[in-house]
Amino acid sequence: MASIARSALLRQAASVPKLPAATHAIARSSALRQSIANTVRASAFHTTSRRNLLPPLPQHVDGTVNDAAPIPETSPAHGSYHWTFDRLVSAGLVPLTLAPFAAGSLNPTMDAVLCGLILIHSHTGFQNIIIDYLPTRRVPRTRKAVMWGLNVATVIVGLALYEFETTDVGVTEAIKRVWTA
Amino acid sequence: MIAQRVGTTALRRVAAKPNAFFTADVARMGFLAGSLHKATQTRLVATQKLTPADAHDILNKQRLQRPVSPHLDVYDKQQTWFSGSVWHRFTGMGFSGGLYVFATAYLAAPLLGWHLESASIAAAVGALPLAVKGGLKFIVAWPFVYHCVNGVRHLCFDMAVGFKRKTIVQMSWYIWGASLVSGLYLAFFL
Repeated sequence: MASIARSALLRQAASVPKLPAATHAIARSSALRQSIANTVRASAFHTTSRRNLLPPLPQHVDGTVNDAAPIPETSPAHGSYHWTFDRLVSAGLVPLTLAPFAAGSLNPTMDAVLCGLILIHSHTGFQNIIIDYLPTRRVPRTRKAVMWGLNVATVIVGLALYEFETTDVGVTEAIKRVWTA
Repeated sequence: MIAQRVGTTALRRVAAKPNAFFTADVARMGFLAGSLHKATQTRLVATQKLTPADAHDILNKQRLQRPVSPHLDVYDKQQTWFSGSVWHRFTGMGFSGGLYVFATAYLAAPLLGWHLESASIAAAVGALPLAVKGGLKFIVAWPFVYHCVNGVRHLCFDMAVGFKRKTIVQMSWYIWGASLVSGLYLAFFL
C-alpha cells in the first residue's frame, strides 16, 4: 500500500529536469518545497484569523429534529396591534414635543398628555430593549423579573410625574426655567 | 489421484465461497454472496447503535463548530456603529433612563432630605459657569434632537420609504450633522 503513495512522489521527482548526480538531493527537496508552498498559498486565502468572538452557546434540541419550529402564540396585546400602537404614539409625540418650542410653554392639559405619551413611549422602548437582549429561551427567569421590574418602575415614574405636575410647575415649564437659568 | 491434493482443492473451493459452516456472520455472508460476481466495488461499513439522545449529542457538538456570522465586533463599523439605529437606541435609553432616575429621586427626595424641585434645580444650574452650563445643555440637547430626527426617519422606514442604500447612507450623515449643529444652537443660543 505504501508503494501507491510513494509512486506520486516518484512521479513528481521524475518530472523535475534531470540534473547531475550531485544535485539529486536538491531536486527532491525542491519538489517537497513546492508542495509546502502550495499549502501556504491555500492557507493565505484566509485573510483574517479565526477569532472566537461571541461563540455559540451550548446547544440543545427540544423534541426531535423533525419537529417544526415553534410558532409564538397569538395575543391581541402583543402582536401587530402593539406595533401599530407604538408607531402611533411615536408619531403623536413629534408635534407634541415641538409645540413647546413654538408656543413657549404648554397648558396643564397638554403637558399631562405629553407626559403620558412620553411615559408610554419610554415603557415600550425599554420593553423592546429587554426583548432584544434577554431572550426567553436563554434566560427565562431573568427576563420575567426584569419585565416586572420595568412595570414597577413605570408606575413609580407615573406617580412622580403626577406629583411634579400638580405640586410643581410641570415638565415644559420646568425645562424652560432650567434652560434659561 | 492423491488424496491430499483432492482434499486441499475441495477445501480451498469451500473456503473461497461464503459458507454457513465456516462463517459466523450469516447476514454478512448473504450480502457477500450476491456481490462476488458484481463489477462494482462493495464495501462493508461498520455500524454502531445510536440512541436518539446520542444523535442529538453529535448534532449539538457539530453546531458549535459552525461559522459565526459577522456581528458588531467585526462588521463594517461605519454601518453598524454610526448608521443610526444603534444611536437611536442609545439616545432613547439615555433620555428615558434619566427620566426614570430623576422621577424616582424626586419621589424619594422628601424622605432623604434632598431638594429636587424645579426652583432649586434652576438655582443650582444658574450658579454654574457659562461653559459648564453650555456643556450640560449640549449633553441634553444633542440626544434630544438626534432621537427626534432619527425617529422621523424610522417612521419613514416603517412606511417603506427611503430604503435605497445611497439614501440610507446619506441620510445618516445628514442627521448626524444636523443634530450636532442643532444641539449646539439649542445649548448655547437658546
